[in-house]
Amino acid sequence: MTSPAAELQGITKRFGAVVACDNVDLALQRGEIHGILGENGAGKSTLMKVLIGLVLPDAGAIRINGESRRIGDPAEAAELGIGMVHQHFSLVEPLTVWENVILGEPIRLDAAAAKRRVGEISERYGLAIDPDERISDLSAGLRQRVEIIKCLRRDPAIVILDEPTSVLTPGESEQLFEVLRLVVERENKAVALVSHKLDEVLAATDQITIMRAGAVVDRRDTADADAPGLARAMVGRPVSLRSEGAALGHIEAFEDDRLATGPVVEAARATEPQPVLSIRGATARGRDRRTLLDGLSLDVHPGEIVGVAGVEGNGQAALSDLLSSLLPLESGTVRVRDERPLPGRPGAMAAAGVAVVPADRHESGCVLDMTVAENLTLVSPPRPRTGRALLDRAGRALLDRAGRQAHAERLIEQFGIQTPGADAPMWSLSGGNQQRVVLARELSGDPAVLVAAQPTRGLDVGAIEYVSERLREAAADGVAVLLISTELEEVLDLADRIVVIFRGRIVGEMDRANLDVERLGLLMSGAQEAAAS
Amino acid sequence: MVGDFFSAVGDVLSSETTYSSGWRLAVALAFVAVGEWIAERAGTINISVEGSMLAGAFAAAMGYDASGSVAVGLLIGAAAGLLVGAVQAHFSHNLTANQFVVGLTLNILVLGLASFLNSSLKPETATAHVFEVPGLVEIPLLGPALFGQPWPLYLLYPLVPLAWWLVYRTRWGLEVRAVGENPQAADVSSIDVNARRRQAIYFAGITSGLGGGYLLLGQVGWFEDAIVGGQGFIAIAAVIFGGWTLRGAMLGCLLFGSANSFRLSLPAVGHPLNSELLSSLPFVLTICVMALFAHRTREPQSLARPFIRGLR
Repeated sequence: MTSPAAELQGITKRFGAVVACDNVDLALQRGEIHGILGENGAGKSTLMKVLIGLVLPDAGAIRINGESRRIGDPAEAAELGIGMVHQHFSLVEPLTVWENVILGEPIRLDAAAAKRRVGEISERYGLAIDPDERISDLSAGLRQRVEIIKCLRRDPAIVILDEPTSVLTPGESEQLFEVLRLVVERENKAVALVSHKLDEVLAATDQITIMRAGAVVDRRDTADADAPGLARAMVGRPVSLRSEGAALGHIEAFEDDRLATGPVVEAARATEPQPVLSIRGATARGRDRRTLLDGLSLDVHPGEIVGVAGVEGNGQAALSDLLSSLLPLESGTVRVRDERPLPGRPGAMAAAGVAVVPADRHESGCVLDMTVAENLTLVSPPRPRTGRALLDRAGRALLDRAGRQAHAERLIEQFGIQTPGADAPMWSLSGGNQQRVVLARELSGDPAVLVAAQPTRGLDVGAIEYVSERLREAAADGVAVLLISTELEEVLDLADRIVVIFRGRIVGEMDRANLDVERLGLLMSGAQEAAAS
Repeated sequence: MVGDFFSAVGDVLSSETTYSSGWRLAVALAFVAVGEWIAERAGTINISVEGSMLAGAFAAAMGYDASGSVAVGLLIGAAAGLLVGAVQAHFSHNLTANQFVVGLTLNILVLGLASFLNSSLKPETATAHVFEVPGLVEIPLLGPALFGQPWPLYLLYPLVPLAWWLVYRTRWGLEVRAVGENPQAADVSSIDVNARRRQAIYFAGITSGLGGGYLLLGQVGWFEDAIVGGQGFIAIAAVIFGGWTLRGAMLGCLLFGSANSFRLSLPAVGHPLNSELLSSLPFVLTICVMALFAHRTREPQSLARPFIRGLR
């Protein structure tokens, strides 16, 4: 047997304390589509960036056709015959198709020849495209065609595709896989298909490598693989065991707190069947016209925790933005109690009683260069109400330093925030304590709805426990809690009810009592969209 | 009163000197705008063109004083403009300092330096001779304006198509446009983003220096601190006004130059109008255009955003 087209050995890459790739081996054979499967953050993309020269590994070796190579940048990779179709399109929108295809090539600019070449490639692979079209006028599917043509133009021996179908319709995805099959069978290229979608990896590949937390956890021949087995390997056996156990009520972690809050939940729901947060048919598009939310409907009742499970990039950010008044809707409504806050109008959701713990603490959760007290009172400096609108308004405009300080100190004590003082800068706090500040601020306004997006991301075990505890307490106090998390474990641990978000819509729902982890995994990957509805 | 105004406008519009001076003023702006256009297409709002222009004007004066040749003066002016551009480029696209802070500092520095050197060196200068293009100068009203001018003005005529050709017909231009729109994509396609941006600023420095030299040797004839007096900024306004197209930018220069000459010629035909008010016209027009067409004109998507590798 000849040596593989590309071989990665013992690749390790750290970003600060995070190990993105941990001693990973991978071999790409000619004439094969190799699926690299894993959840977001499993290290798949980093591994591919090592191969294309965008990331330099800390340790490990790369062999191309059996020869050891060092790949420092994409140009070197291109010379070795490695091409990549990037996850986020690397196209320049105001330029035309042919201009994009030849971008970065050190040859004379010859429009006629470039267009001819685009025509040849598009004919050879059945990727019809008009070379004079502007990228900004093309759909996501056609843009990807341009990316693929750009990649194939140099006739690479190894083709890497990073989450190629994340923006495609099912039909477009099928076409893409036909092209890949063609490339592999007719031209004996080696293809690496990076994906978190079980169905497409099963349908399109020959070999599968499964990654979790930066390491390879399993390798299979696609012929011998099945979806439930892959789902378990991808999400991880310990998680699966724990959650299955949780569903059956066997795990001791649940016996102390979960059972205690259980009856409260029941009582709250019994007395107040009306949902406090109700989203109906929410549809929204981003600035690039991509669909962010696609008719999403969701109810949250007082006193319950609803977990939104799903693979990252399926509309979680948009849902969180919607409830932070950051995203206007094309159609659909949001109702909070009896109010109908106008989506997208600054502050509308907060005024209606929606508090949000944003996914990115540093970007939108707090201001690192301000003090703890300032961060705690950032949203609404507390003021005794006089009952007169004008006075209240004037009072809000002026900051009451003493009142703010007292309020901040109360919250610091109440939430056990470890800080040298209320005037310490926010950046001097640990991640866990920063998150406590955000939680304290959001909960201090007595919200009707609490949205927690990735509330434990990047926190240590103790902090995770604290945040979980607070969310449960909030629910016990009658707050409707919406937990948006890509950590399935977290959702399974906290939620009374789990809904699955896929491509901007809710595709399935299950109660804690009827938990089926395998089905959940399939729903998340979109494999059972039909079965869910 | 209103009648007076319209008769004044009539006088101004039927006078050849209006067109002639309008064209001269527009050309000074166009030298700068043509370079600024390229710099902005590559992603930099290069406000140091004001400084480049002033440095160009002063260096041209020194060059003429030393050599007695207008051509040498213009060449040295262009070199001085390039020098200012090179400093801007190095600081904003090598050291990734804030481009506006760098530009502001440079403008103030050049103003101080030129003023100081001028008062101590006092270069002797003159205006270049007028060259009348045979035949074309006979065209009524516009002939003398376009083809009966001091010869450095004619340098602009090949410069504009050259800039267009560079941006739209060469690989360098394609990469410049890519870099101003989506530097990450350009980087992935193995283009040196910051090098392209620096080169675009060099180009702007050269044309601005040339513009300054033209202003001195083709128009004013002697150096004074206020010789540029914000024309670099008006040229930037013209690029924005023109929606980042070359045609639009040149149109903006013509409009702003004419407004300026209108201001100058109104008193000349005996109708004083508040000239301070008129001199604010370019900026008022730009604001109006931005308010009206803000959603329609497409600025380069990465305009004024620094590029650092690896950051997305």
